[in-house]
Amino acid sequence: MPPAVPGDLYRPPFESRPPGQPDGMDRMDRMDHADHGASGADGPACAADLTHRILARVPVGMGPEAVVVDPVGGCAFVACSRSNGVTAVDLERAMVRWRAETGREPIPLIHDAPTGRLFSADARSDTVTVLRADTGERLAQVRVGEYPSGLGYHPGLRRVYSGDTAAGTVSVLDVDRMELVGTVPAELGAGSIAVDVTRGRAYVANFMSASVTVFDAQTLQPLGLLPAGNGPCKVVVNPVADHLYVANSLQGTVMRISLATGEAIDELPVERAPVGLCVSPDGRWIYVCNRGAGTVSVLDAASGRESHRIQVEQAPGDCAVDPRTGRLLVSNAGAGTLTIVDRPWLSGPAPAATHPLVGRPLPAFALPDAHTGQVRTTREWAEKKYVINFFASW
Amino acid sequence: MWESVDAATEARNFAGIWGIDGPVLLDETGEYAAALGIRGVPTNVLVDAHGIVRGVGLTAPQELDEAVDALLAEE
Repeated sequence: MPPAVPGDLYRPPFESRPPGQPDGMDRMDRMDHADHGASGADGPACAADLTHRILARVPVGMGPEAVVVDPVGGCAFVACSRSNGVTAVDLERAMVRWRAETGREPIPLIHDAPTGRLFSADARSDTVTVLRADTGERLAQVRVGEYPSGLGYHPGLRRVYSGDTAAGTVSVLDVDRMELVGTVPAELGAGSIAVDVTRGRAYVANFMSASVTVFDAQTLQPLGLLPAGNGPCKVVVNPVADHLYVANSLQGTVMRISLATGEAIDELPVERAPVGLCVSPDGRWIYVCNRGAGTVSVLDAASGRESHRIQVEQAPGDCAVDPRTGRLLVSNAGAGTLTIVDRPWLSGPAPAATHPLVGRPLPAFALPDAHTGQVRTTREWAEKKYVINFFASW
Repeated sequence: MWESVDAATEARNFAGIWGIDGPVLLDETGEYAAALGIRGVPTNVLVDAHGIVRGVGLTAPQELDEAVDALLAEE
């Protein structure tokens, strides 16, 4: 179990603000505007803060894997895989609004604004659960293929697509009727799904097959297979750049693919285990959750280069941008929190180039073996060279 | 193994699926991971014969192979 997040880490950013007073973001905005204006530097009151800031770390439940935003309702929804539920977070107050039960191990989420519904794919119960976004009330639970771990969405066609990882298929649901309406063959490990609404095409990341299946979002006809890197875990579309991004979790890269031609453009190195992705509403920035490093890589969509990294909490699973504020929301699967990052497109303190433990003695341990229960200690491996592997079952 | 619920069972299942025969130690409280400054999974920690940490991270196969080969080549 990951270390618990101390309660005092959670400080609602605006909790002490009297009614009617501007909040911290308002003040920050005015400071930036003043600094970029003609007045110049006039002392501390006009000092610019040109870095991103962690505004809040909200405890949401165990194993938060994904987050979506309802900008109109001012709410984020987090799928907590180990709590078997969804947590709604009030973004203004950075506080939990409600929690609702889903099937077992919900991983991805979709928010359908017209109906005010949430869809979670519940990997261990082979279901998609439909909730009311305002209250968390359960509306339906639809049986899909085996181990659904990814969802895609086409608002115009009124469809949600479920990537059924163990079945290697995509189950297609009608959003309004909350019914299964079709199945698309994909490859083993089918999970994350991105939809190019302009062309009416859907892209499925096949984790175990190192490929991306393409199909027609309306007719559901398969259109082809694109090669990916090892362990493609998340796909997203950038409609502004006309690119598809694929997070290759097992080789620490993000691949850029042209939506127009289907050809790979390049592959961008990030950090360990990139598993989550999102694109800023203006298409300029790509945010990549590096689950193995506890960081978010910020990529410039135009140059294809990494701009900077943001340190979040343990094992970030996925992220989303609040289009009203531009703030980045990160669900940290290992920490059980939602991190809210203000102005994530700005860099911050440079992270250390080398892990602080390198060159230092390994801390002593005495831990039980999972198979035998026997307690094993550091002393047993004295004078040996060895590797400790911290691994995950996602 | 980074699991918040039923860690022992999850670890055994995972080891069985992936054919991991070596020792699998349980850090159920996460204290040891915290002591090492581990921020996510997967992460490898490479330790030399003097008990000194020589690398942290190293999850790409080529990266790990090179680090292990370099350590083994040392006297």
